[in-house]
Amino acid sequence: MDSLNLLLEGFATCFTPGNLAFILLGVLIGQIVGALPGVGPAAGMALLLPLTFGIEPVTAVMMLAGIMYGGQYGGTLTSVLINVPGEASGVMTAVDGHQMARAGRGGAALSIAAIGSFLAGIGACLAVAFVTPLLSSFALRFNAPEYFLLGVLGLIAAASLGSSPVRALIAAVLGLMIALVGTDPVTGAPRLTFDQAALFEGIDFIPVAIGVFGIAEVLSSLERSEDVQPIRTRLRDMWLTAEEWSQSRFAILRGGIIGLFVGLMPGAGASVASMLSYLNERKFSRHPERFGHGAIDGVAAAEAANNSASHGAIIPMLALGIPGSASTAVLLAALILHGIQPGPSLMTQESALVWGLIASMFVGNILLLVINLPLAPMFAALLRVPYVYLAPGILALSLVGAYSATLDMGTVWKSLFFGVFGWLMIKFDIPRPPLVLALVLAQLVETSLRQSLLLSFGSLGIFIERPISIVLLILVATMIALPVWNAIRSRRSPSRAPAAE
Amino acid sequence: MRLIDATPALFMIALSAAIVAGTGDLPYWADITPGARFFPVWLAGTGILLALLLLANLYSDPAGGRVEIPDARAVVRVGLTTGGMIGFIVLTPFVGMVLAGALFMAFLLLVVLRQPLMPSLLTVAIVALGVEGIFVRWLGVALPAFPFSI
Repeated sequence: MDSLNLLLEGFATCFTPGNLAFILLGVLIGQIVGALPGVGPAAGMALLLPLTFGIEPVTAVMMLAGIMYGGQYGGTLTSVLINVPGEASGVMTAVDGHQMARAGRGGAALSIAAIGSFLAGIGACLAVAFVTPLLSSFALRFNAPEYFLLGVLGLIAAASLGSSPVRALIAAVLGLMIALVGTDPVTGAPRLTFDQAALFEGIDFIPVAIGVFGIAEVLSSLERSEDVQPIRTRLRDMWLTAEEWSQSRFAILRGGIIGLFVGLMPGAGASVASMLSYLNERKFSRHPERFGHGAIDGVAAAEAANNSASHGAIIPMLALGIPGSASTAVLLAALILHGIQPGPSLMTQESALVWGLIASMFVGNILLLVINLPLAPMFAALLRVPYVYLAPGILALSLVGAYSATLDMGTVWKSLFFGVFGWLMIKFDIPRPPLVLALVLAQLVETSLRQSLLLSFGSLGIFIERPISIVLLILVATMIALPVWNAIRSRRSPSRAPAAE
Repeated sequence: MRLIDATPALFMIALSAAIVAGTGDLPYWADITPGARFFPVWLAGTGILLALLLLANLYSDPAGGRVEIPDARAVVRVGLTTGGMIGFIVLTPFVGMVLAGALFMAFLLLVVLRQPLMPSLLTVAIVALGVEGIFVRWLGVALPAFPFSI
């Protein structure tokens, strides 16, 4: 009941003209960055983060969250109409959505994606509203050892669920190493600054995120700038038949549930959710042969799952201060940059912000449904703007955004450096989200490890003396063992590997 | 296994070594508490371990980590774009950020991407006006201005 009252207060925070305008702005930007191949919600959020410094933290977080889940809706357009997923989470949508578009049912694919995303999104918002307080009050029992293990779990989970765990862990270690520069978080001693004044305050999150997500992605896209013409779609094509709806409704429900649980796991994210949900639908379908040839339930399941997961990832971020995805890492960084301390006490200390954010997600999903049903053909027209005209603008905005965050040209240089570094990461197949996650989690991981060892006079036994930390330790060990087990299994029977792909 | 495929592992080893060397003057342990060097040393150790694991993976399955080297055209485009961004940063104190951004975009569209003149100029004008309108007029961010502007 408490949650319900607080949610109503959240709606009161949300329903001011200014906040509603920023939610609309956020979801519109999310829709656009999601629709632009090679930008994506995390990059969009990182680019716009400096712009939020002049506004109230609650408004800023509402807008940034709007970009995050709006990006999931927008990504459908490119997946369905040009078969180029704007985000990894749109890959499974493209498989059947584009086949539907080629068969003249692109409008129906966009409709079911919007409806599926909306229903799963609203369901996930309810889960956020009722699960977050429970998890948060449970997490108040956490101490330094639990926080250390939780941080490590976030990093290892992000790596072990990817295609190359070693490369992802290398990216995470790189992120932690970047965070070493500056001052020691416990003693305040300068560390790895090489007597350079510019390094005394460390390396900010903003230039790294803008460089690694924004600039690197554009540099990579400019290498191959062939433009693909989208398949045209009209408003009247968007009506669903009764048969299409009956094929899709339970796929939406199952996709939403799978997405929510996957989103809750640190590091799993929307792409894993949409893949699992799609594979689940295919496995239990009476006509699995339709999948890959325009199965509308495949589109519905994948889209419901990715939107549900992007909402679900907010739960560990709000309740524990642990980001579950690259986008929630940016959201968490936004809280920190606005002077708000994340963690279990956030729910009580910043109640208006948390409940305003949760309420804004309900409102944002309604706005996105309205935007995506009648206005989808208009947003589809955006895809006809050649990418070469968008890329210079994105780069210029990235550099200007970096400057406006600190009013220091040093930040712009750092953004450029991390842009080239991020491009090299793409070339060497090192995933970038773990680096950004690690950068956000670095201080928590280091300080909680050192505090734990201080409490135990240097004994590692502290990690197995407390029940919650034992559970977390088992989870960490499982996450480490999972990729090792998968590698051994695929070596023993190489024929399984492609099937798993 | 090609040397280029092993670059991430070698880079990680070099970086880990640099971190161990760079924190040499800091205490590893101070009385009863870990010092400022404690975490960097363990992190560097983890980095080296992961790098060795990556090298072992590459050795056992060389095709698995094969780097796709970009062609000359792609390298030139990325190089010129990066050069353009450096030019933007260098020019900003002299001509202001909005004008430097406009020059950078014009260079990218006309020289690097070889797009037609009019659509390119239109794009440059829209973005430059957008930056001026949003950052300077609306948000009041003090972007470096053209020295002779009013």
